[in-house]
Amino acid sequence: MLSVYKYIIKRSLLAIPTLLGVSMIIFGMLYLAPGGPVEVMMSSQPASAEQIQDIRQQLNLDEPIYVQYGDWAWDALHGELGRSWSITQGTAVNDLIIQRIPLTAELALLSMILAIAIGIPAGIIGAVYQDQIADHAARVVALSGISIPDFWLGIMLIVVFGVQFQISWASGSWIPLSESVTGNLKHLIFPVITLGTAYSGLIARMMRSEMLDALNGGYIRTAQAMGISNRTIVFRDAAKNAFIPVLTVIGIGLARLMNGALLTETVFNLPGIGQLLVTSIARRDYRVIQGIVLFVAVIFIVSNIIVDVLYAYLDPRIRLSGGD
Amino acid sequence: MFYMHILIHEYVYQEGTKMGSVSPDSEADQNKSTTAQRSLLQQFWKNYKNNYLSIAGGAIILLLVLMALLAPILAPHSPYEQFETSDDSKFHPAEPGTEIILTNGDGDIVEQTTAYLGTDNVGRDILSRLLYGLRTTLVIGLSVVITSLVIGSLAGAIAGFYQDSWIDNAIMRVMDVIFPFPSIVLAIALLGVVGIGETTYSLPILGTVAVPNTAKIILVISVVYIPRFARVMRGAVVTEMEEDYIDALRTIGASDFRILLSDVIVNTVPSVVIQGSLYVGTALLASAGLSFLGLGIQPPQASLGLMLSNSRDYVYSGEWWFSVFPGLLIAITILGFNLLGDGLRDALDPRYQGEQ
Repeated sequence: MLSVYKYIIKRSLLAIPTLLGVSMIIFGMLYLAPGGPVEVMMSSQPASAEQIQDIRQQLNLDEPIYVQYGDWAWDALHGELGRSWSITQGTAVNDLIIQRIPLTAELALLSMILAIAIGIPAGIIGAVYQDQIADHAARVVALSGISIPDFWLGIMLIVVFGVQFQISWASGSWIPLSESVTGNLKHLIFPVITLGTAYSGLIARMMRSEMLDALNGGYIRTAQAMGISNRTIVFRDAAKNAFIPVLTVIGIGLARLMNGALLTETVFNLPGIGQLLVTSIARRDYRVIQGIVLFVAVIFIVSNIIVDVLYAYLDPRIRLSGGD
Repeated sequence: MFYMHILIHEYVYQEGTKMGSVSPDSEADQNKSTTAQRSLLQQFWKNYKNNYLSIAGGAIILLLVLMALLAPILAPHSPYEQFETSDDSKFHPAEPGTEIILTNGDGDIVEQTTAYLGTDNVGRDILSRLLYGLRTTLVIGLSVVITSLVIGSLAGAIAGFYQDSWIDNAIMRVMDVIFPFPSIVLAIALLGVVGIGETTYSLPILGTVAVPNTAKIILVISVVYIPRFARVMRGAVVTEMEEDYIDALRTIGASDFRILLSDVIVNTVPSVVIQGSLYVGTALLASAGLSFLGLGIQPPQASLGLMLSNSRDYVYSGEWWFSVFPGLLIAITILGFNLLGDGLRDALDPRYQGEQ
C-alpha cells in the first residue's frame, strides 16, 4: 500500500509544472490580442483615449506583465479569480462560476452515468457475442454515437419531441434543483440523452475491444478448464480486467464531456459554465474567460491524477515500475 | 493481466511473421529488390479490401469530396442568392419542394425554380448552401489534420530521436500543457487572442498581412491536435530507434539529421498518417461545433456548422428542414471518415482486426 501513496505524491508533484505552464499560457495569451484588451473590449462603443487610460489604470494594466501575472496567479492560488471586466457587471468571477457550476456538474454527472450504463453492457454484449447479430447491433449504435454531432442530436430531439409531440419539458426553460427536483430532472432528460449517448459510443468501443482481449487471455481458458461457469468468467474475471483500461477512456472522455456540455447548454439554453464562456467571448470579458479556462484546466489535471492513481491501484504493474 | 500482456505480444509477433512471410501470390516477386516492402503493401491492401465497412467509408468520402469539388457545377444556385416565395413574395424559410422566384431590383422575375430542400431564413437555397458548406467544412477538417500532423510529428520525431534529453523534455512538457484542454475550450481561448473575423497584422518584414478568418480557425483547432500526433510519433520513433539498422547507420557515420529524416521518419510516417485519418472526424466535429457557437466561420460564408447555428431560431416554429439537412450531412461525413480510419488502422495493425 505504501507504494500507492508514494505514487500519488509523485504524480501530484509532476502536475505542478504543468499547472504553472497552463496558468502562464492562459494569462499571457489574452495580452497577445491585437490592439490590446481594453481597446478591443471598448470597440463596440466610442471611447476617448482618456477613458481607455482610466480603465487601464483601474484594471492595473499599466503594470509590467509579470507583476500582473504574479498578482493574478497569487489570487488564483487562494481561490480568488478576480472580477469581471464587463462594464455592466463587475461581479467576482468566483461567484459567476459558483452560480453556474451546479448545472454543468449535474449535466456532466448524469450524462456520465447514462454513458456508462449504455456503454459497458453494450461492450460486454459485443465481445461475448462477437460477430453475431447482437454484436453488429451494438457496433452500429456505438459508431452512430461517435459520428452524430451531439449538438445536432439535441436539435433533433427538440424538433421531434418538443415541436411534433409538444412535450413541454423537452424545450422549456431550466428549473433550479432547489425549486423543484422533478421539474429540474425532467428538463435535463433530453440534454442528458444528447450528451450521454455520444459518450457511450466511445466507452462501448473500448469496452468491447478490451473485453475481447481479456476473453482471449490464457487465464480464461484455465478457468474454463477448472469448470467455472461462463457467467462467472465473463463478469468476475474478464469484465473486471477489461474495465481497467476503460477507466482511462472515462478519464480522457471528461474532456469530450466538457466540449459536449458547452454545445448542449447552448442548444437547450441552459445557464451553465459553457454558456458563460461563450457569452464572455462575445463580450471580451477576459477575466471571466481566464477564470473559466483555468478552472476547467485544473479539473482536468486533477481528474487525470485520480484516474492515474486508480489505474495504478488496480494494476500493480504500473506502480511497481514507477509508472508515468 | 500479466499473462495477457505476454499473450498479446506473442500474437503480434506471430501475426508479424505471417505478414512478412511469402504468401503464394507474391512468390513471383521474390527476386525483386522491393519484395519486403511490396508484400507489406499487398498485405495491407488484402487486409483492407476484405473490410466492407471500411470500403463503404472510403466510397462515402470519395463521393463527398467529389460533391464538394464540383459544388459550382452541381449546385442549382449560388449560395448567396436570396429567393422569394411566389405566394407572398417574402424571404422566409420555404418548405422543401416550394416554387421560388428570384427578382431583380425592379421587381421583375428573373428566375423561377423549385427549392428541393427548401430555403433558409433569408431565402437562400439550402441544397446549394449544403454543397458549398460541405466544401468549407472538408477544407477545414483536412487542413487541420494536415497542419497538426506535420507540426506534431516533427516535434514528436525530434523528441523521440533525442529520447530523455533536454530537448525531449522541453517538447513533451509543452505538449503536456496543451493536452488536458477540451478541444473547443482551447480553441475558444485561442480565438480570444487572435480575434474573430479577418485581421490585418503589420509585421516588421512582411508588411501588412491580412489573415482570413478560415485560416485562423484552421490554426486554432490545429493546436488542439498537435500534442496527439507528437505523442504517437514520439512513441513510434522510440521503438524504431531500437532497430539494429540504426546502429548500423551510425557505424558507417551517418549524421543524426540523415538518420532521422531519411530513415526513421520515412518508416514511422504510415502509422501517424493512419492516426491522422482517425482524427479528421473529430477535427470536423470541433470546427462545426465552433461555427455552431457562432465563433467559427462567419456569415455570409456557407458552412454546415453555421447553417445549424442559424437554424436554432427556427426549430420551435417547425422549420425542420433548416436544421435536419446540414446536421445529417455532418453526421454522414464524420461516419465516412470514422469507417475509413478504422479500416486503415485494422489493415496496418492486425491486432485491431474486427474492431469497428
